[in-house]
Amino acid sequence: MKRTPLYEEHIKLGAKMVEFGGWEMPLNYPPGILTEHLTTRKFGGLFDVSHMGRFLISGQDALPFLQYTLTNNAAALLPGQSQYTIIPNHDGGAVDDAYLYRIDENEYILVVNAANLEKDWVWLQKYRQKFPQLIFEDRTAGIAMLALQGPRAKAVLEVILGDMRKLPEPARNNLTTVEIFGAKVPIARTGYTGEPICFELFPPAKIAARLWDKLLEVGKKEGIVPVGLGARDTLRLEAGLPLYGHELGIDVKGKSIPVFALPVARLAVSFGKIKGEYIGREALMKQFQEIELRLEDRLDTPKEKLLVPKIIMPMAISKNSIARAGCQVYVNENLVGNVTSGTVVPYWKTEGTGIKSKPGAESGRRAICLAYLDADLKEGQGTKVVIRDKFANGVIVERHIGSEAAPYARPLLIEE
Amino acid sequence: MYPKELKYTKTHEWAREDDGFITVGITSFAAEELSDIVYVGLPSEGGKVEKGSSFATLESVKAVSDVYSPVSGKIHEVNHGLQDHPELLNKDPYGEGWIISVIPVEKGELNDFMNAEEYEKFVEEEKGK
Repeated sequence: MKRTPLYEEHIKLGAKMVEFGGWEMPLNYPPGILTEHLTTRKFGGLFDVSHMGRFLISGQDALPFLQYTLTNNAAALLPGQSQYTIIPNHDGGAVDDAYLYRIDENEYILVVNAANLEKDWVWLQKYRQKFPQLIFEDRTAGIAMLALQGPRAKAVLEVILGDMRKLPEPARNNLTTVEIFGAKVPIARTGYTGEPICFELFPPAKIAARLWDKLLEVGKKEGIVPVGLGARDTLRLEAGLPLYGHELGIDVKGKSIPVFALPVARLAVSFGKIKGEYIGREALMKQFQEIELRLEDRLDTPKEKLLVPKIIMPMAISKNSIARAGCQVYVNENLVGNVTSGTVVPYWKTEGTGIKSKPGAESGRRAICLAYLDADLKEGQGTKVVIRDKFANGVIVERHIGSEAAPYARPLLIEE
Repeated sequence: MYPKELKYTKTHEWAREDDGFITVGITSFAAEELSDIVYVGLPSEGGKVEKGSSFATLESVKAVSDVYSPVSGKIHEVNHGLQDHPELLNKDPYGEGWIISVIPVEKGELNDFMNAEEYEKFVEEEKGK
């Protein structure tokens, strides 16, 4: 099993270590998943995400290569910007989803899922002959990756950098490179928690442990704690973010999911002139047209011929039941799909209302999930979810959290 | 690390006999493997349990799992406090985190189960797998 440069730190902190995507990673630290989730939402959390794959892509052909092998328009990125993107296959499905960071004029970092690193590498290698001026390297071992997420994250970085003007511009996806411990460290305003204030840092592996310790030392005064993969998953699920193998690529039963089954695909797939031709464009275009027709209420394709018959939707589950991946979902006795990820998440009961709301002192728990359901179902639709041979009530919701009340992510609850 | 006075099953329950009643819970290893337990599905008092079958379900953030009865008998008492405080299973699995007590059909059934030392070895083997 592979270990990140922070392995020793996790052991010192008393983490429960588990195997994930070929890596030995912290599932949780002594406070446990629920506490780590709540602490991230109220103060902040520090995550070791060095198990994610990092490809460094540079050279004159970097941009044409990225345009050909990814779905988003990489030309829209200025140096110091990043975007969510998908590595498409030829049939309208996803090899993986990824985040593309333009760290310099001709230098990009592409972050991919840990479990897919080798598959993505082999896939992308197949297309590089067309791009002779391309440098394409797997830098997963040389560059670490830390995520600092939550309301107090900015205060911690300000102390470490000594000057808040060094931080990337305060909008999601911005990126800047700073100097820490004599090394160049790209810092991006990105993350996988739904937190409005979020940073991901890419230090060289050799200073990663020093930086981790420093972030925790300064973070402690702000209430920030280390957070493992357990809470990383509950936070991303609450934020409605997709996970490969559940909401994207292939589902829990191993079946291919069309890219446009994911609502966020609309922002990650480009058909513009500048984007040009790329892998899977034609298949994706057909999906896109179908989705557009549905939005305009002009779709008359019979159900069995639909390219995107189902969509990933957030669903809340009634009290005392917990839906898990694979649970079947019914509406009026018709099977309409299944749960793709489900769990219980804790939340802070809020004080105040609307944009003035903030987390209070008391916490509650709720069962939430993402589900892959018939595309014509709408928000507010009641469902029955089969959980261990019994029916539980579900309702399709727009989102599980909102970020209007920044710096806090606010829980959006259903009325029982 | 596992209490000496208890008996242990291969499915990670513990059992203790006092005055003919058998109290059953899950081990600290099981609790830790499950991670934070957030919901407990409990049986009713007076109901029957069968040796080797599931009598309760534990839901954690990660997964759902069954608790199996080490003996056959009638459920004498259920720890209803777990309903509101499932975290007791993580915090105090051998004390306040007990799950049920049973009036067994036969006496001496616990003799077949592992003692603390044997269970510790068993857990080490499981971890190695």
